[in-house]
Amino acid sequence: MKQHLGRQSGVQNVEVSLIDGKVEITPKGDGQIDPVQLLKATYDSGVTVAEMNVTARGKIAKDSSGNLALQVEPNRSFPVEPNEMSKGLDSLAGTPAMVTVRGQLYKKPPGKKQKVDTSVPLKLLILEVEKRE
Amino acid sequence: MNTLAALLLLIGCVVAPVSQAQIRHIEMRVEGMT
Repeated sequence: MKQHLGRQSGVQNVEVSLIDGKVEITPKGDGQIDPVQLLKATYDSGVTVAEMNVTARGKIAKDSSGNLALQVEPNRSFPVEPNEMSKGLDSLAGTPAMVTVRGQLYKKPPGKKQKVDTSVPLKLLILEVEKRE
Repeated sequence: MNTLAALLLLIGCVVAPVSQAQIRHIEMRVEGMT
């Protein structure tokens, strides 16, 4: 799995801990990393992803329906799952302010091993706002 | 003066990528790994 993930675009380093089943991925600074591709690549290597957490820096955007999104690259943004943490970011929508957040992008639904559904966009459940600039 | 401008441009090129929005770190918990 380590080699499989290491070959993915935008991945600089992969650390695997067999004891606790943790995989740490360090992205390159080129902005090419795609969490959906990582989920697919992990599944293809015969392993089930139970949870994926990311630390990302970006701007808060709001769509026409009033839903928040974290824009991490000019062409990539993650819709934000509303929670108590996201309420505090509402006022930053549309401003040039940058935020660094830690959040959950994927959690395996309860049940048997199943393929990651990539047709549904990943939603970011914000767990912690690390920095506002 | 031109040297100073070139130096500032060079510093800007080095600092700019750091200030960009990006995914900094990804952590996964996996099951079925042997």
